[in-house]
Amino acid sequence: MRHKVVAICGKGGAGKTTVSAVFAKALSERNDLRALVVDADPTGGLGMALSIPVKRSIDEVRAETIRAIKTGESDRRDIAVSADYLLMEAISERGNLAFLSIGRPEQIGCYCSVNSLLRDAIEFLVGNFDITLIDAEAGIEQVNRDVMRAVEFIVLVSDTSAKGIRVAETIKKVAEEISGQNKTGLLLNRVRSEDEVREIEARTELEVIGWFPEDETIRRFDAQELSFFDLPPCPASKGVVEALERAKILD
Amino acid sequence: MGLFDDQIKHVQDFLAEKQSLSQVREFQVSPYSGWPSEASLILEEDTALELGNPGIGSMSFIIWSEGHGADHDRILLVGPDLNEIRVQSVPFCQMILVKGSFRDEYECWRELREAVYDTKLEGFMTRVLPSRQMIWCRVDREALAKGFLLPHLGAALIRSLRDVSFVSGAEVIFVTSGKEDMEKLKKPGYDTARIVGAMMKMNEEKIYDCESCEYWDVCKSVAELRMMRRRLTGELAK
Repeated sequence: MRHKVVAICGKGGAGKTTVSAVFAKALSERNDLRALVVDADPTGGLGMALSIPVKRSIDEVRAETIRAIKTGESDRRDIAVSADYLLMEAISERGNLAFLSIGRPEQIGCYCSVNSLLRDAIEFLVGNFDITLIDAEAGIEQVNRDVMRAVEFIVLVSDTSAKGIRVAETIKKVAEEISGQNKTGLLLNRVRSEDEVREIEARTELEVIGWFPEDETIRRFDAQELSFFDLPPCPASKGVVEALERAKILD
Repeated sequence: MGLFDDQIKHVQDFLAEKQSLSQVREFQVSPYSGWPSEASLILEEDTALELGNPGIGSMSFIIWSEGHGADHDRILLVGPDLNEIRVQSVPFCQMILVKGSFRDEYECWRELREAVYDTKLEGFMTRVLPSRQMIWCRVDREALAKGFLLPHLGAALIRSLRDVSFVSGAEVIFVTSGKEDMEKLKKPGYDTARIVGAMMKMNEEKIYDCESCEYWDVCKSVAELRMMRRRLTGELAK
């Protein structure tokens, strides 16, 4: 496994962060690989689910870089090496996992050169990990961005609602238009029976890679803000891990 | 007169004081050359030693001269080497003195900086924050077990600098002895950053209005900067 990038996408409330947190836990148990976990959702739920403190978000790095450009204290070369430094400083580590939070964009205006520098720095970073997991923002917004070009596999998380499935289908379509290289798989949440899965399979072209039910353990961990690294085996975690294995994402 | 005369004197005085206490070790370049080159990203779990962690103390700067200092290539170390450090993280200072012929000091500085930035060694990660003169390094367990030492880094930096056409000598000084010594080097580090900042502003922004410039005090005390300004504004040619 080298430089695999996996994004977890879907409509808001579909369970992306739960899937990402279970995925991160599974990766943390793999001592044979190094993983980068990126919380790309501005609400920052993944850091909370994993109880990983965010030292500094990518957007804060971006803001500091913009400030350095505005004050003229650094030229382009210095800003590029500074971006590497600030990104390293922004990483929270836990064993074989490195965690980065994108944060909430607060700087208004076009800073293409900064975005390009950060993109280069992040690409270098990603290149140093066996696998990068991105917990994406809700909806299709991020699918339009450059970050998705590098994504090898998109896990489309949805509940069993028609709206959820439609958003997942749209994400797949947009991703195909952008790169055409991504593999996709639908992971269904809050499933009540296998029959429900069969019904959904019959009305969508998306490949269903797995499903998991509403899960009391997950609900408890969310409610009590417990770290998903401590999540015991439960139906939801079993469903997520089996889906990731079926899609050969953990290979 | 040179751009960094005061800073070079400060560093030399620091070294003289340390030498008088037998706290400086000197290494030649050749025995430490040849450590494999590779850009590394080292995570905490693979880290044997951390140098210059942002929360602990860090300093890095390059100064140069046509006259004195760095008469021959050498590596100096104040404090323990990597294999002698008994804690996981120490304050770290990396100072580089270069001797050469600097026709256009700004262009020369850019080349020197590039030579330093491009020095990447297997099992050794460096991140620099030039605006704050900070350097943050990690040594991985494997590199330390294989015998990686600071003179290997010094040798690689000197080799890289000596590849620059106008460089005739380079001295790399590492300080790992602790916060007290770092404090003594704060002033030359800060002053160097201000001089480089003034030079950068003149050359990049092409704004020569001293009254509105935050570096006016630096130029006032460094004759070479005033010369540079006059050259850039064409005053010298008139």
